[in-house]
Amino acid sequence: MNVDELVRDALREQAAELTAPGPGFADRVLAVRRRRRVRGLVSGAAAMAAVVAVAVGVPLLDTGKEDVRPASVLDGSGVSAHPDQSPPRDAIAAGRSVLAAYYTAEPVVRSGDRGVLTRTYWLLDPETGTYRKDDRWSFVAVAPGARTAAVLERTLPARRIGILDLASGHVDRWITVDRGVGGLAYSRDGSRLVATTYDEHPDLLRRAESSSGDVAWVLLFGGESSRSGFYVLDVADGRGDWSPVADRQDINGRQDFAFSRDGRLVYSQVVGGKDGLQQFHDLDGNTVPAPANERHLRSDVSARLSPDGKLAALGLTAEAKDTSWSEIRDPYTGEEVARVRGAQLLAWVDDRRLIAWERAPGSEEYRPRLVLVTIGSEKVVPLSGVREPGEVFETVEWEPVFVERRS
Amino acid sequence: MDAEAQESFREFVANRSPALLKTAVLLSGGDRHAGEDLLQNALIKAVGRWHRIDEPEAYVRQILYRQQISRWRLKRRGRELSVAEPPEPGADGDAASADAELRLLMRGALARLTARQRTVLVLRYFEDLPEAEVARILGCSVGTVRSTTHRSLARLRALAPELRSLGRSETEAGRQPSGDYSPVEVRS
Repeated sequence: MNVDELVRDALREQAAELTAPGPGFADRVLAVRRRRRVRGLVSGAAAMAAVVAVAVGVPLLDTGKEDVRPASVLDGSGVSAHPDQSPPRDAIAAGRSVLAAYYTAEPVVRSGDRGVLTRTYWLLDPETGTYRKDDRWSFVAVAPGARTAAVLERTLPARRIGILDLASGHVDRWITVDRGVGGLAYSRDGSRLVATTYDEHPDLLRRAESSSGDVAWVLLFGGESSRSGFYVLDVADGRGDWSPVADRQDINGRQDFAFSRDGRLVYSQVVGGKDGLQQFHDLDGNTVPAPANERHLRSDVSARLSPDGKLAALGLTAEAKDTSWSEIRDPYTGEEVARVRGAQLLAWVDDRRLIAWERAPGSEEYRPRLVLVTIGSEKVVPLSGVREPGEVFETVEWEPVFVERRS
Repeated sequence: MDAEAQESFREFVANRSPALLKTAVLLSGGDRHAGEDLLQNALIKAVGRWHRIDEPEAYVRQILYRQQISRWRLKRRGRELSVAEPPEPGADGDAASADAELRLLMRGALARLTARQRTVLVLRYFEDLPEAEVARILGCSVGTVRSTTHRSLARLRALAPELRSLGRSETEAGRQPSGDYSPVEVRS
């Protein structure tokens, strides 16, 4: 018998021995509530917005270690690996994908019963090839090519979107909008932005207090999201339309939209019986079925389709000591065509290689690092140091944002 | 809350509280009073939104798990509960009684985990939820769920040396390949 089997058996045995609460339990609850009806009693609960990094995966390269010079990080096709750095200081890239930014997040208390899970971004300076902290922004979407980014200022929802020059650090221009925006994502060609609108800060935390007086800050969940719709904006002239989207119970507080592969639809994650469910909408905001080549994808696996569109990156499917494999499927049939190393597929490097989180060997704990993996090979090339698991639950250790680099 | 809503709430509690209490008590490390307290508070919070909740059970469960988070924030070690000592093994105890002893030992060890560790194990092994769902419920990354699960199982072994004779779990040691896990060539 294994330890987890014994845990399961022990818990079930213990549960089976428990008798039901007494007959007056509901009335007792109602009576206690009447007594306690004071402001500040928190309607607890929450679930984290699954953070979907805006990753426009793309193609090419082999082996690790052959670091390229900073100047070629954005337009090169080689591998720039820094297995000794976590979080990275110098550019990480492979083939057509570059780690254009990363962010951390931690709870910041705003008032007595409100707080915000606040992000801090480190952006890749294309001139120096290093990551530079830029705490002016609450949200950053890096454009394909990693030379500009769309940014939102600290107060969310924001009424203007900045187009930031990543080399100079200056905002070239602002796109003003009538409705507050909380999240951004570029189309695959970089010409359009989908800007998700919210009535309140999408990363709002609520003070939760247990009966014993302990306090926690928890994100909003199901039915509490203030998401109202989305803009589709032309990046060049800033023009575009807003489309409302119906309220729904099965989304997190932050549930940003992203473009479908062909840019004709948008999608976002929904929470349900399976991981990574997604709902597509047309650009008027109506719910529509998934496109034929995206219906087997998962919203929580950011690599999505290979550059040539022939393969779909899916989730973790097998584990052994120090080793994980994820699934590669035919996007149209959903049939598994390969297993590739990696616990979480983040971005395509070319049509056969990906960047993934994979567990570092030699520890019982899941301690992931960025690696380069290849379909048809067990070879794993470390790209970053190990991201050690944090002690504070809500805190997001560095979260990568990959985009396509262009020559 | 109108009379109709109260009636609907009473009906929900009558039908679902036995199952919900099991989860609450397990989350509380086997302490029935603490479990009832936890469930009562979750239900109080649900009552306030009763007419707006589509799936009350899912909502109440989420509050149960989240309340545990609030507990482990300030009491990282949690309070230790007294649990029944396992009986001394009989001279010729059979396999069934040995298993029962192990389960009792495991209960004691579970009660001594931090609330955070116990919550993750209850969600993974009692509720049988996938890692990503546990992560969503608890508002953390899948990586955090994994590392917490690993740490918790390791901690159980440390708390109860008798458990060290057990086989390593799939989670700890990785699944033994039951089939061929070598990557399959992509068909062109």
